[in-house]
Amino acid sequence: MAKKITGPQMIIANGLDDGRVVFFTRSGGWSPNTEDAAYAEDDAVESLLERAQVFVANNTVVDLQAIGATIEDGKAFPAHIKHAMQAKGPSVRLDLGYQTSLEWEQA
Amino acid sequence: MYAYDQFDHAMVASRNAEFRDQVERRMKGELSEDEFKPLRLMNGLYLQLHAYMLRAAIPYGTLSADQMRRLAHIARKYDKGYAHFTTRQNVQFNWPKLSDTPDILDELAEVEMHAIQTSGNCIRNVTTDQFAGATADEVADPRPYAELLRQWSTFHPEFSFLPRKFKIAITGADQDRAAVKWHDIGLVLKRNEAGEVGFEVSVGGGMGRTPVIGKVIRDFLPEKDLLSYSEAILRVYNENGRRDNKYKARIKILVEAMGADEYARQTEAEWERIKDAPIDVPEEETARIKSFFAPPPLEVLEASVPAVDEFAKKHFIFASWLKNNTNQHKVPGYVNVTISLKPHGGIAGDATDEQMELVAALADAYSQSEIRVSHEQNLILPHVPVKDLPTIWTDLDEAGLGTANVGLLTDMIVCPGLDYCALANARSIPIGQAITNRFDDIKRLENIGPLKIKMSGCINACGHHHAGHIGILGVDKKGEESYQILLGGSGAEDASKGTILGRGFDEHGIVDAVEKVVAVYLGEREEGEEFLAMYRRVGPQIFKEALYGAA
Repeated sequence: MAKKITGPQMIIANGLDDGRVVFFTRSGGWSPNTEDAAYAEDDAVESLLERAQVFVANNTVVDLQAIGATIEDGKAFPAHIKHAMQAKGPSVRLDLGYQTSLEWEQA
Repeated sequence: MYAYDQFDHAMVASRNAEFRDQVERRMKGELSEDEFKPLRLMNGLYLQLHAYMLRAAIPYGTLSADQMRRLAHIARKYDKGYAHFTTRQNVQFNWPKLSDTPDILDELAEVEMHAIQTSGNCIRNVTTDQFAGATADEVADPRPYAELLRQWSTFHPEFSFLPRKFKIAITGADQDRAAVKWHDIGLVLKRNEAGEVGFEVSVGGGMGRTPVIGKVIRDFLPEKDLLSYSEAILRVYNENGRRDNKYKARIKILVEAMGADEYARQTEAEWERIKDAPIDVPEEETARIKSFFAPPPLEVLEASVPAVDEFAKKHFIFASWLKNNTNQHKVPGYVNVTISLKPHGGIAGDATDEQMELVAALADAYSQSEIRVSHEQNLILPHVPVKDLPTIWTDLDEAGLGTANVGLLTDMIVCPGLDYCALANARSIPIGQAITNRFDDIKRLENIGPLKIKMSGCINACGHHHAGHIGILGVDKKGEESYQILLGGSGAEDASKGTILGRGFDEHGIVDAVEKVVAVYLGEREEGEEFLAMYRRVGPQIFKEALYGAA
């Protein structure tokens, strides 16, 4: 069973068609950029998840989950290395990840 | 090479049409992800960390030049210009779009390839010796039997929902290059006293979180009985294997629980019941399949070519490549060339579309349009005339494919790890890069001699770390990547399981640790003694002291 996450959380998912990693944003859309990501704690996580789940139902994203976040200057970053890797792209092909381009249109 | 008949074409075309419809329904929302996921996995499509990943089967690691060209085209058109060759002799594309996958599968079907049974709890791609049919140390070519198994196991209704995935490997050579003892079923071709061809059969080998070396349950199985006996083995597993716990579901757990003798008894009893049923194919059909793998008509040539020797004197890397990257062919004047996909500082198993195009062109020019993929993530040109080696190496070297390290320390198996894989706990590729950079000196590597390092980024062991002379296992230690070191494993005919030496290291420490292990070996080895033999002679203690200090 997965460990219960405590503290701030953010919502991660993959785009249904291209599989690209996206975060649920403060404006209620999706962005590959963690700086735009919404975060919440405690009971507020449920309502964040509920808002994000709409995009699973309408086939925008897949594999949606709430993940632990660390907050710096009011911005959320994935706490676990696996999700940090997802946010950045492969560390060995810097030409392929999101590091070089954040042109992906924001939903 | 085997060529599809009308049934093969019809089966693949029908499956692709079905999957196209499933993808369309998923995109429209008519199928939920829960409904769609098992369907996409049956067609080799995973959702990994950053994108979808499509795994296509390369049956028993044999490719034609045209097939390789098609893989290059797919990498270019639908992916990001490269592909990854795996330890199961398959190929993976890391960035396809879901909506493109039906087209990709149709493109594969045009060259007689598919992604069926590259995932799921079914019989996976049968793997074999990369030098099959071309090596001097072979009883018989294992590929016709692998093809027979492929046809029998594809869409086998009884074995489509096994307790867990099932992997079969087969070799026909004295030297086991297919790690058969590490497979669910391992087959070794041999001759009995009457000179007849058959198989030694082992079951219950496997890596993962519970590494087990397979047990021999039959010393000699006549070749004509291969399918019925395999069916008996699978039936015992399918009926008795655990389905309550995914981590206890592989055949190795059942064989350990039951005992190999009892597993053999039940298999023999079941086989006795079914062996006269129409499961095995008639002799004519076996002969028909064997005809696809007939040796190419090669004219015997001079084995010693002065021009090649002269070239080697001028180019010391070529001289090393000649020694390390070529394997003796059964016909004088020819060799099998291993193209290293382990450039120092590079990504093990990756090839760009341009490199794949080059390999295809070289195959057309020099290796009867044939290419092989090894489980050690390299590519092979079989049947190459010795006289052509300088030209081939020059072309490869210009394309970054001329590394002369096959069988040496930097010829590492490295899984995709946390850079790509959703199961991984730690990155593997950067460790492979750091180690190959640290040992970037061919003379030093040759002084160290044969040494296999195998690395996995999680306990699932896709990188065969249990079978490495030096194994490296990446783990998650309280949210940080940590790397354990194992010594003494082997995937060869003397298969053995590596032993973890002690606590893990960080990403820099593991590279230093490998260097210290090598230093101990160099200091303690006897004349001509290879790393694994030395480890088996002295045991782990002196290595532990070098890494962790005296207890």
